[in-house]
Amino acid sequence: MTLLAQQIVLGLLLGGLYGLAAAGLSLVFGVLKVLNVAHGELIMLGGYGAYWLFALLGVDPFAALLLVIPGALLLGAGLYTGLFGFVVRAHEETRIKNSLLVGFGLALALHALAVRLWTADDRSISTGYGGAVLTVGPIAIPLIRLASLLVALALIAGLHLLLARWRWGKAIRATAEDWQAALLTGIDIRRAYLLAFALGTALAGAAGTLVSVGYSISPSIGLEWTLKALIVVVLAGLGSMLGTFVAGLFVGVAEALSAAAFGGPYREVVGLVIFLVVLVLRPQGLFGRAPR
Amino acid sequence: MRSPGGGTEHAWTVAILVAFALLALLPLLTTRDDVLNFVFLVLLSITLAQSWNIVAGYAGQVNLGHAAFFGLGALTARTLWIAGTPVVIAMAAGAAVATGFALLIGAAAFRLRGAYFAIGTLALGEILRTTVGNALPEISTLPAASIAGYRLAPRYYLALALAALSVLAVAALARSRLGLGMQAVREDEDAAEATGVSALGLKLRALALSTALAGAAGGVFAYYHISYYPSHPFGPGWTFDALLMTFIGGVGTLQGPVLGAVLYVFLKEYLTVRWVDFHLLIFGALFVAIVLIFPGGLVQALVQAGNGARRRRARRPGATT
Amino acid sequence: MLEVRGLEAAYGDVPALSGVTLQVGAGEIVALLGPNGAGKSTLLGCVSGLVRPRAGTIFWEGENLLAIAPHLIVERGLAVVPEGRRLFGSMTVEDNLELGAFSPRARAARRESLERVFALFPDLRARRRQVVRALSGGQQQMVAVGRALMASPRLLMLDEPSLGIAPQLVRAILDALVEINRAGVAILLVEQNVRAALTLAHRAYILEGGRVVGEGAGAELLGDPHVRRAYLGPLAAGR
Repeated sequence: MTLLAQQIVLGLLLGGLYGLAAAGLSLVFGVLKVLNVAHGELIMLGGYGAYWLFALLGVDPFAALLLVIPGALLLGAGLYTGLFGFVVRAHEETRIKNSLLVGFGLALALHALAVRLWTADDRSISTGYGGAVLTVGPIAIPLIRLASLLVALALIAGLHLLLARWRWGKAIRATAEDWQAALLTGIDIRRAYLLAFALGTALAGAAGTLVSVGYSISPSIGLEWTLKALIVVVLAGLGSMLGTFVAGLFVGVAEALSAAAFGGPYREVVGLVIFLVVLVLRPQGLFGRAPR
Repeated sequence: MRSPGGGTEHAWTVAILVAFALLALLPLLTTRDDVLNFVFLVLLSITLAQSWNIVAGYAGQVNLGHAAFFGLGALTARTLWIAGTPVVIAMAAGAAVATGFALLIGAAAFRLRGAYFAIGTLALGEILRTTVGNALPEISTLPAASIAGYRLAPRYYLALALAALSVLAVAALARSRLGLGMQAVREDEDAAEATGVSALGLKLRALALSTALAGAAGGVFAYYHISYYPSHPFGPGWTFDALLMTFIGGVGTLQGPVLGAVLYVFLKEYLTVRWVDFHLLIFGALFVAIVLIFPGGLVQALVQAGNGARRRRARRPGATT
Repeated sequence: MLEVRGLEAAYGDVPALSGVTLQVGAGEIVALLGPNGAGKSTLLGCVSGLVRPRAGTIFWEGENLLAIAPHLIVERGLAVVPEGRRLFGSMTVEDNLELGAFSPRARAARRESLERVFALFPDLRARRRQVVRALSGGQQQMVAVGRALMASPRLLMLDEPSLGIAPQLVRAILDALVEINRAGVAILLVEQNVRAALTLAHRAYILEGGRVVGEGAGAELLGDPHVRRAYLGPLAAGR
């Protein structure tokens, strides 16, 4: 029983990162209608960013967020300008398909680059306080992971506020809802796209940083995290950042429960199965308009 | 994706089959294993790419779970063959299992369209890979007697035969009613349905053919390798390879996957020497370029170059229009 | 101020406009009438920048609108109330209105603009924090008109503002248009409610099959026999 509770807590902590990873993907898909399957690779890059800041300059990973996030913002802006900005010129159905393919090519290239630069080895950041644990009754909560969950929540709440209060945040939401109406209102939707993509990348970078300190990273985590993010987004639907976060927690807990029920190796499968079931039951996707 | 036209494809079919016929002589001309292994890999890749091309190029759906069928074919064939079944029957059984599974999930899968079909099949492939990896974590090795009697030639010829079969299948498909129906669905599914075409039926048939070839290829893989992890052929890398080869060569054409496969394996072998996976960086970048600029891949590039050359020739003084 | 000449537009192979020429002068209310599918919405689409015409010119105060991106057209002083309103349903009345003043020129005057909108539509002031989706059709239409007004336009274009709105609210909206016009804003009104439109308008054009088939002063057209037969007779729409 205690073991189960412990597993659930750990699942919750991981789920927070799933939520953060998904939030970036959800933002980009909701606004640009672009499915960036290289999102996981962006998370991976964020992780390596934090790792090298730590390994070479001794920067604490949580402090590194202050560097990784702006860096990721710039990277996102660059990727939009150089790549996805061209994809958005097609209309929606072609756009989604093209973005899938472009994202795939990007993921491949980034993965190969990462392997070349940093080898395929697993890396993890071990800080001095790494082993600290908060004990609540019989349950041990690793402090780093708890801090990561709180950071993830803070970032998501921050994004929510940004979208709700900031002028361009509202413009982004308007563009997501009806880009033609947004144009008619005087919003430069290309700028909205750029901002949304940059923000999405920033969230990915942050998620990667938290993964590198609480767990481990390697060039191969890209696909894994893209899938996790996809699962959460499909479950949550588009539109609410907080809802996405909660869905992430849910997936984390679902994985923990399935690991307890069917054994560790199958924890990955449950998320994918949920994903498929939701996807098939709503054939237009959770994001789609009503069936034609 | 437009195919350049029946005449060109016919010419290519003949050319490719002639090349295959010549390749059939190769084991008689050389005993160098590295050459034969290399050509084997090209042939297997051709089948993998061509089979993927059927659903993507002709039925218009990006199947990111292709490796699942490759893996199922490998798993079935390996199990049967090690147990004593003649390899060709084992391969056929592998193809049957792959196709059977495809038809099982096909109706549900095709409720998804476009990107959702792609990510759905990706998830499916991963589910299979993880499950097989958990259920059969130990490496599968041939019994000692088989290793002692291992000869490359039969593997080579099986791969060659299968590659030829896949090319012929696509050639026949392109011209058949089934193929034309598929292309109508690919161009505009709703319009096709309005004219009485059953899109689902066509897509399922495309999937069946595609997965049968992929499953058979899996059987060849299982026959070829002395030892491998049973989950390995289920890995997404196989799907991605097929996707890259097909797109870069020219999706929806007959010669595209063949050209793409040859280029891909060549680059992989030559670039790997200095930088492992460098070929993936190149292909990744090429791929993006293809999606955005040359959706028709190499085939389109060749056609355009050919048209350009023809135009330049016509413009030279003294030439008749 | 607005000069459209020889405008041609099509959707794929289907022609929508076949050589339309019209003008809207400063301070005018111009009505654009005609049956469904005549091309009225397409015309507005071309002027606002959402639809790319095949041929023809659109000039606004001497500047070529076809060379300008849609969001910059708003900056130049043209605002649209699109057909079906196209509000941002998940956002509040206030947010929708605020977004209307997105362009820099409009933004500078947004506080005054907001007051003006609330003065015109007092109902909206009370509902400012309500989510637009929850409002009735008529209230949404007011928000849509308000949002366009927030852009401080010199030309306000409306596409079927009375469609699906209860009659009392239609009256209110049309009265508001008169007031807006009195404040110096020119109006280009696409309307099915021919009688109301012609009563309001200084001038009107009649569009049929993508061509201008009639033109004249509002009152004059009200008396025109062709117009009466086609649009105001017992079988025609119009209350």
